[in-house]
Amino acid sequence: MRISPDLEQLVLSALSVSDQDEQTALQQLTTGRRVNQASDDPAAAAAEVNIAYQIDSCDQYQRSISSIGSELETADSSLNSAVTAIQSAISLGVEGANSTLSQSNRNTIAQEISGISQQVLSVANLSYNGHYVFAGTADAQPPYVTNSSSPGGVEYQGNDDVNSVEIEPGQSIAVNQPGSQLFSAAGANVFEALSDLVNALEDPNSTSDQIGSATNEVRNAYDQLTSARTFYGNTVDQITSTQNFLGNESIQLSQQQNNTVGVDMNVAATDLTNAEEARSATVQAAATVNDLSLMDYLSTINAS
Amino acid sequence: MSGLLGTMWIALGGLEAQQAGLQTSTNNVANLNTPGYTRERPIFEENDPIIEGDIAFGGGVQVTGIQSLRDNLLDMQISDETQQQSQAQAYVNAMNQVQTLFPDDTSGIGAQISAFFQSLNNLATDPSDLTLRQDVLSSANNMASAFSSTANQLTQTSQQLDLDVQQQVQQVNQITQQIAALNTQLAEVSSTGQDYASYLDQRTNLIQQLSGLIDVSQVTDGTSLTLTTKQGTALVVDGNAYALSTSPDSNGVQQIYSAQGNEITSQISGGSLGGILQTRDETIPALQTQLDSLASGLVQALNTAHQMGTDLNGNPGGDLFQPITGPGAAASMAVAITDPALLAAGSDGSSGSSGNIANLTAVASQFVSDGMTPSGAYGNLVFQVGTNISDGNTELNASTAMLQQLQQQQSSVSGVSLDEEASSLLLYQRAYQASAEAITAVNQMLETVINMGAQT
Repeated sequence: MRISPDLEQLVLSALSVSDQDEQTALQQLTTGRRVNQASDDPAAAAAEVNIAYQIDSCDQYQRSISSIGSELETADSSLNSAVTAIQSAISLGVEGANSTLSQSNRNTIAQEISGISQQVLSVANLSYNGHYVFAGTADAQPPYVTNSSSPGGVEYQGNDDVNSVEIEPGQSIAVNQPGSQLFSAAGANVFEALSDLVNALEDPNSTSDQIGSATNEVRNAYDQLTSARTFYGNTVDQITSTQNFLGNESIQLSQQQNNTVGVDMNVAATDLTNAEEARSATVQAAATVNDLSLMDYLSTINAS
Repeated sequence: MSGLLGTMWIALGGLEAQQAGLQTSTNNVANLNTPGYTRERPIFEENDPIIEGDIAFGGGVQVTGIQSLRDNLLDMQISDETQQQSQAQAYVNAMNQVQTLFPDDTSGIGAQISAFFQSLNNLATDPSDLTLRQDVLSSANNMASAFSSTANQLTQTSQQLDLDVQQQVQQVNQITQQIAALNTQLAEVSSTGQDYASYLDQRTNLIQQLSGLIDVSQVTDGTSLTLTTKQGTALVVDGNAYALSTSPDSNGVQQIYSAQGNEITSQISGGSLGGILQTRDETIPALQTQLDSLASGLVQALNTAHQMGTDLNGNPGGDLFQPITGPGAAASMAVAITDPALLAAGSDGSSGSSGNIANLTAVASQFVSDGMTPSGAYGNLVFQVGTNISDGNTELNASTAMLQQLQQQQSSVSGVSLDEEASSLLLYQRAYQASAEAITAVNQMLETVINMGAQT
């Protein structure tokens, strides 16, 4: 059988194959990716679109959590100071109910309690980053304004609505507690209770029992506030644990992405070595083959 | 026996024959690198013997022709395989351009869809913040322009392919004209009984070139040749070429017409035209349809969600994106509002409400296009483009390997081997020398005969 004399074509195509292998391995090594265009592995590329979305979401959930976290903590510690202030108002009420106190002593106590009421009012109108924290969702205006016709002289202008933020896939948490739950709940209005206590203390006709019952009113509002404010502590706990979860999730997603489109460096390095060896072998073979032509011997034969 | 002069004639015939052999070999060597060249070899035949009594003396040699060593079946197989290989090559080349429009990681539509939904989620942390609202609008703009620029670049790729179609149809026409002209020459040459091998080589070469452009069927009968497309549109019948033409349809897309004026665009399946048309008329439109469906589905779902909410001023939300539908939806995707206060993030009319953000972000997991979520639908586009190319590559590699094998086979029949020609040259040279020696010998003998009667 006659062998094709056109060996160059074979050499060229062998070279182009090893060149391509070399290029692929080199690209994988430099990018660290096995999938550099969708055609390298269509299913993996499509999967990466989804993984990339999950990674972006995970990053965003973590950013959201740190955004809301500082507000929640600020709210919580402000509420804590309000709770402490109301506690001392209760102590003052108990002290004021003592029948041995003179009216001027009671007036002094009443003034102190008025001061506490102002302090609680300023907590209730806490503003964070340009919005009012305890106003429900009507947070552009201070929720509590002075209004002599309202019970306790303070009117709630916020609403009862609660905002939510998604902090992990498919899970949202409430991020605010409206003032109507904290300070001015029906039957447990802090401002009304404090105002009633001040009035009772200032009224010279008040009996110890009347002052005691006004103090109980404050206690009642205190109980409502402390129970409603646990929301903040709980929420801070929840987002802290979610943050940890998201941290792990982030690592897992990155690993998943790497498994899907990343390259095994050892394999790519071996591929590169193999392709280089194949190439140099082909080049050597080509050089050997092209040396062997009968034409080279013609002159020798003719000379003889 | 024919006497000394007869012997002289035999030697002369030998000289001529060896010279013919030498010329053929030299011609082979000269055409070593000529594409489409088929090696030739002289056909030597013994002359009729000279019979004297019972003895038949050899009458020498004569060259009766030059044989071209071709395999017509291989030529046809190569032509067929070239059509497939060029088709796959053109398809892969065109789709590689398309592929860059559908990245799977940090850029393109997928990344912008993701960024948009993340910006919404971020807004939930402080819904009345104008900076965060502006971020959402910016992301929405980026997403819209990712859709429209991808759609526009797809259209541009299509238009580029349209130019290629026109150019390649012209090339087809040039080649068919050349083939028709060769056919005329071939018919003339063969009718005078002359050797026409080199014309056949040229014609075979042209048919291979044509096969790189368009699908071709060939029917040969002697030197007569009919070329048609696989679907039977005449391209060349002997000395006549039938030029194809292109003309834009109502959408400005170039369609191909036969010389008889029939539209044959969809019939062309092979050669680079086949690959280009497949990309232009099948793959890209399918991608455009999906892209439009995703864009309009996404816009519709987001607008519906947006209208459920209230903006910073307490008014009900309007359209977040310009409503789009049907063909061209992706190209015309645009955000409908520029004032961040008009973003309907709230649900209760209060400026601080984020109640509607959940409705908007829920779109990320809604089936907005063919039962797929927005990023799922985009992932599917990436998958399809990738699969189109990897399938095309598989076909291309198989076809290239097949073509190479056929070309090696053809080369083993028709290729010029330097070794072989070197040994042939030696043989002809030696035989020529020997014949020349014979003439010298006969000459001396004749001199002897002539001088026989002379007095010395």
